[in-house]
Amino acid sequence: MRVKIKRQQYPGAEPFWQEYTYEGDMNVSVAAVIDSINSKDNPDVVSWECSCLQAMCGGCAMVINGVPRLACDTFVNKLKGSELVIEPLRKFPVIKDLVVDRGIIQENLKKASTYIGEYEHDDKYSQELEYQIGRCLKCGLCLEACPNYVKGDNFFGPLFADDSYFINARSKGDKKAIKRNYDKHFAKGCSKALACEKVCPVNIPTLSAIARMNRL
Amino acid sequence: MTKVLIIGSGISGLTCAIECASRGINSVLVSPFPSERAQSVLAAGGINAVLRQDNGDSIEKHIEDTLKGGGNIAGVKAVTGLCTEAPSVVRWLESLGTVFSRDEEGKIRQRPFGGQTYPRTCFAGTSTGKQIVTALVMEARRLEGQGLIERRFWSDFHSALIKDGKCCGALIFNEASGTLEAVTADAVVIAAGGQNMMFGKTTGSTQCDGYTAGRLLMQGVKLKNLEFIQYHPTAIETDRKNMLVSEAARGEGGRLYYEEDGKRVYFMEDKFGEKGNLMPRDVVSRTMYETGRDIFLDVSFLGREKILDRLPEVYDLCMKYRGIDITRESIPVKPTVHFFMGGIAVDLNHMTNIRDLYAVGECASIYHGANRLGGNSLLAAVYSGRVAARSIASSAPGSDGSDWSGFVKSEQDRLAVRREVTGDTTVSYVKTVLADTIGSALGIARSAESIAKGMETVDHFLAIKDEISFNKSELEYFNYRIDGLLNLGKAMLICADSRRESRGSHIRSDYPETDDAFRKATIVSLEDGEFRTELVVEDDYAG
Repeated sequence: MRVKIKRQQYPGAEPFWQEYTYEGDMNVSVAAVIDSINSKDNPDVVSWECSCLQAMCGGCAMVINGVPRLACDTFVNKLKGSELVIEPLRKFPVIKDLVVDRGIIQENLKKASTYIGEYEHDDKYSQELEYQIGRCLKCGLCLEACPNYVKGDNFFGPLFADDSYFINARSKGDKKAIKRNYDKHFAKGCSKALACEKVCPVNIPTLSAIARMNRL
Repeated sequence: MTKVLIIGSGISGLTCAIECASRGINSVLVSPFPSERAQSVLAAGGINAVLRQDNGDSIEKHIEDTLKGGGNIAGVKAVTGLCTEAPSVVRWLESLGTVFSRDEEGKIRQRPFGGQTYPRTCFAGTSTGKQIVTALVMEARRLEGQGLIERRFWSDFHSALIKDGKCCGALIFNEASGTLEAVTADAVVIAAGGQNMMFGKTTGSTQCDGYTAGRLLMQGVKLKNLEFIQYHPTAIETDRKNMLVSEAARGEGGRLYYEEDGKRVYFMEDKFGEKGNLMPRDVVSRTMYETGRDIFLDVSFLGREKILDRLPEVYDLCMKYRGIDITRESIPVKPTVHFFMGGIAVDLNHMTNIRDLYAVGECASIYHGANRLGGNSLLAAVYSGRVAARSIASSAPGSDGSDWSGFVKSEQDRLAVRREVTGDTTVSYVKTVLADTIGSALGIARSAESIAKGMETVDHFLAIKDEISFNKSELEYFNYRIDGLLNLGKAMLICADSRRESRGSHIRSDYPETDDAFRKATIVSLEDGEFRTELVVEDDYAG
């Protein structure tokens, strides 16, 4: 199988495409294919981020055959087409090859004071939904897929909407301020394309969080 | 103290940073990636604490189970502290907003785990570690907003700044700029996780490699009990790693068996009675190994509804990575390296033998003896972070304003020389061979012969370490860590060789009996190029 990887030597460098041939088992993840390319004592390894290798950490988020996905969670034999095309996430600055700087996610959450502070559970909220949101990997796939998220913009994207619901349900703090931040950094910019739910690797029901926040 | 440098941002590092910052101490949290990538998020099962005593459970029983499960070598004082504070640890996590699973009355749910006399494992669905990380990250963010926590990403530990037996900071490698920086602090806390890289497929994160422990050993820090490596009995093999099938699967009733003449043999129940499947992990792994058979775990009889409610992650991972429907089929499982009871030797305050250098979480060795009970690792991660923070807060500022520019330059020059080395023996080759070597030498059962064979290979690489060529396309950390990994590998083999008995997870085929003369911890040090080991009584060493 032909594998095309979009590479970049360092931040700001001109990206280029490199082609490889993969001849191994097709019943493997894209992470395994990248590992295979890198494993033959290759003097020019493709850099990529990984930690858990089982869709629990979000490290290996990238664009695979045009779709934002986790490499360890995407299986080659389930992909359409005869070639595998891998690119780094496009909405984050590239550090090297498939490794991107997703620091903006944390920065934005900090900017919007996304924390619980003093805890108090409001029983009218759904513990099950909070649990699902608590599983968010902060991988950035929802931001990559969201047509409204633009780098550097005031719109912080679906993961912020989820976390807004989470802190609203579990914080004793100023709920009006939470709602104001939600409106300012999410509600006004969301066109409800719902691409976020389609690409979320842990299936967070973002629409439920949005619906409940909008009703406040 | 006024400033602490914390290496690693998983649960123990985050806890320490939060607890220091909440006491007004500025915390710098260094890690290559955000906390969401830490191995902590993989901890599925739960966290142990005695939250109720009306069922007959007690703190004393938690202590007793932990000591007994650990082969009776952990220190009573340390384990007493851990178990006594456990309820407060869980309440603290709850107060930060951790989404624990609850019963009909709204109380935190608890379930049985291996080696425990009562069901005391609190859990958050099947993603307890992840839910705890989510809560801690939010609290750390609040303190970041107040300027009390500073986070540094794309940064790796290189070495400690040590002068006159005191730690004054650390050399940090910035991958973005490709330079070393001396970051001084009143105290340094190592929270770098376990030693997965020393083996091939493990259940853990590829980020946890053991380099920090290896490098600190080279700098005079004592390590402990490196021979005690936990093989978790139930992992399912996939192409890239062996994925953990949580102990919760057996906690909910799952049964282990092998097939003989077309019939199932429930060997754990046959040998240990009805609670056989929930024996401590070392006992289950050893018994599985002794059968010499392919082992399966059956949960299908629990029914689809209960499986999807209680064990959804187990269902998902078996279906996704192996196409196995656990509501209808058994899971093929094999013991796999999962946790390191050994690591950096610390006292009751989690300080190492170097003043103001602390170690917390899995990289520290103190509570688990020869085998860790399920649910005690998350507890120890949080508890150790709290203990270290309390000690740091009560110590006087210790930064002496030394000039470290000479040390920075010498290490920078050393790296520059290593980058120019060319040759066929590459870092990635050595890393692969090292993992194969340690995996073979320190399998579930080891012997003088297997250890000696491993030592030969490690000694060879240590002799030619300056001829190992770096891969310039890799992150620099992936290159320079090789010296630390080789020294750690040698120390692990020396520890395993020196313990000539079988205890807990350390099974010597040539010394199958437990010997009371070894009812102690192994301390290993490296001085003037010589590795030395000594046996110490835990309670004496920990203070």
